[in-house]
This record gives sequence, C-alpha cells and structure tokens, in this order.
Amino acid sequence: MKILIAEDDLISSKILQKNLETWDYETVLAHNGSAAWKALEDEGLRLAILDWMMPGMDGIEVCRRIRRRKKYKYTYIIIVSVKDRKQDIIAGLSSGADDYMTKPVNFLELRARLKTGERIIDLEDKLLVIQRQLKDIASRDSLTRIWNRTEIDKFLCDELERGHREAKRPTGVVLIDIDHFKKINDIYGHVTGDQALLQVVSRLKKKIRRSDKIGRYGGDEIIVILPNCGQPQIERVGDRLRLAVGKRSIKTDLDTVLVTVSAGCATSELPGTGVADKLIRAADRALLKAKRQGRNCVVVAGQDHMPEQERKNARFS
Amino acid sequence: MRDSANPEKLVPIDFCSVLNRIGGDTSFLKELLDIYLQEYVGKKQLLEEAIAREDFTQICELGHSFKGASANLSLTRLQKVAYSLETAGRERHLQSAQEAARDLEMEVQTLKAFLAGNPLEKLG
Repeated sequence: MKILIAEDDLISSKILQKNLETWDYETVLAHNGSAAWKALEDEGLRLAILDWMMPGMDGIEVCRRIRRRKKYKYTYIIIVSVKDRKQDIIAGLSSGADDYMTKPVNFLELRARLKTGERIIDLEDKLLVIQRQLKDIASRDSLTRIWNRTEIDKFLCDELERGHREAKRPTGVVLIDIDHFKKINDIYGHVTGDQALLQVVSRLKKKIRRSDKIGRYGGDEIIVILPNCGQPQIERVGDRLRLAVGKRSIKTDLDTVLVTVSAGCATSELPGTGVADKLIRAADRALLKAKRQGRNCVVVAGQDHMPEQERKNARFS
Repeated sequence: MRDSANPEKLVPIDFCSVLNRIGGDTSFLKELLDIYLQEYVGKKQLLEEAIAREDFTQICELGHSFKGASANLSLTRLQKVAYSLETAGRERHLQSAQEAARDLEMEVQTLKAFLAGNPLEKLG
C-alpha cells in the first residue's frame, strides 16, 4: 500500500521511510505542507503520516484540507509531533486526524497503528461497494435492469432544468407501450411475456444514444428520455424505436411471437410542457391516440398525425 | 570520578535505542549521523546570526529542530542541550541562548571525536 510521509526533518523522514519500506509500504515523500497537499492529489494515497510542524502549511492544515475535500476516497491520517500535551493531542485529532503519535516514534507501535488504518480503509472500501450496489438496486427495474420510474423522473426533471439554463436545448420523451401485451401473457404465459419484454428492451436499447435514458414506466410501458431532441427529430426517433421492435418476431424459450409497440412522443418545445409531469402527460395522451389509431404506430403531441406510409402499414397486432 | 561512572557522559549516543529504531542497520545509522553533522554546519551559522540579532523566534525554532533530530538519533545529551536552546528562545533569554549554543557546539565536537573512533564498526 502507498503511504505519504510529510516530514520536513530529513533524518525523521529517512528513518520513517526505511521502516515503512521494510514493512512493504510504497513511500511518497513530502518535505513541507504544500508538497504534501499536492502529493495527496494522487487517489492511490490512502495513508498519510503528517508531521504537525512543517514550514508553510503545517500538518494540521493539510489534515483539515483533506477532510474538506469531496469525491476522494477516505485517507487515514496519523499526525506525528513532539507536542505531547493532552491539549495538543486533542487539537491534532480535532483537525480530523485518525491517530496521533508523539516523537520520537516507537516503530512497533506505528506498525500496529498502520495496520489499524489499513483495516479502516478496507472497511470503507467495502462499504462504498455495498452503497453503490444498493443504489443500483434502488434505481433499476428488477426484471429488465433499465432505470425505474423514480430514477427516470429524476433524470427528466434534471434534463428539463438543464434545458431551461441552456437555450435551444429541448428534451424529448417517447412513451412506448407493447401492443396487446396482456394477450401475450394470457396466451403464452407470464414467463414468455417476461422474455418478450426483455427482448423489446434489448432492441430499444440498441437504438438509443449514450446520452438517452431508458426506463420502465409501468407494467409494459417503457419510457425513453432524449436530451437535446426537439419536434423535428422526435417523430423519426419514435418510429426508429417502433420499427426496432416490430420488424421481426421475437423468439422465446417456448414460442416465437410477433410483438409490436405503439409510441407517444412529446418534446419540451410544445407550449405548456416545461415541467416533467406535463411533458409525460402529453406523451401519454399521444400514446393513447396511437392506440386508438390502430397501434403499431407513432403519434407526436402537437402534430397528431402519422407518416402516410406508416399509416398504411399500421395494423392490429 | 562520578562522570566516568555515568555511561551517558562517556557515550553521546544510545546505540541500543537508535539501532532498535532503524532495524539494526549500522551503515544506515552512519548515513544518518553524517546528515546530522552536515545539517549542523548550516544550522550553526543560522543560530549565530539569530543570536546576534536577538531573533528569539528563530532561536526557538532552531532549538526545536535540533531537539527533534537529536531525539531521532538518540543523541541524549544533544537533545537536552537543544531543549535548553529552545526554552531560551521561547523565554527570550539571550544569555541562556548563548550558553546553550556554546554547549551545543561542545557536544557536537564530542560526538565527532567519539565517531572518529569508529564505534559503529566495532558494533557491526
């Protein structure tokens, strides 16, 4: 493990380095506070031994700065100092240090204390992994692994807000519903229904940009949020998604089923759709129209028409 | 008679303690002692200047620095003298600072004379 030694006294620094390297630590040396602060930009430095008294920025200030920074993993800090009064030790620990040792350092003790530091770092890392996993579980739909409704709503709100800040940056929403999904479930069973849904999601995912977000909005309703997508583009996008699903049949473990989708589209360019729920409501109304128009088609809110060719192709499925 | 009976007076360095701190590496200890003596030359100059202009903050800092380096190498007598120097600086006592500076120089010369007898080779 890599460890920072911030110590202005050359002899102290060399003795520390020798011992730490004997114990298989990789050492990084800094001879003043500013150099220590700079060295700590390296995210691989998780352990730091800071001398309190150093020229310029002292160890206590370096410690305070480490604790104030964000986006960095935890750094375990041991302050070393000749200051051995109770109030010094309290002040050292109050600056955010994990441990405090008085000079001259007893190296058997230091080694044991560094082991404690490594244990804390290990626990912190495990905790972060679990936190990430939990966040992921809480943000995704359990079947399809695409974003869940809460996450999608949050993303849409953020995107609309961004759109307000950056002029001419509309947000598009495509609400997709699998045609006659209930029938699929009733005829082929729910296992086949689930497999069909997974295939639909997989096909849709291949047709969206990296910046787009796809989520499960309801039972068989899927939503796609499209940043920087306005009225002129949304119909083409919606139709691309529709065709991606319905162009060829889906093979499940038991059967081959032809699945089509209907799509309702809306963009924030439409008057009165600047907030998330209104934009989704507009897309939902468009989706309802698509269903009424015969399914397997796309309706854009504010345009309310289908491309002529698609209208001809549209059929019940 | 009392002096010669006191081992601390005879040997300016506690070898057992310092070697314990650096894993018994005598050649590394020699390197550290060389650094100590080299650094002393520069610090001595700074100390003389600080005393001349009665810069007690600088006297205190130099005393503190000597104290730390001496403690690291278990130079027990030098550590005590350095502490006197630091205290003199903190208490803004010129005469004590001058005395401590003289004692410091004397102790460094004693250390040099001791090291000239190659005690580390005898240990190694």
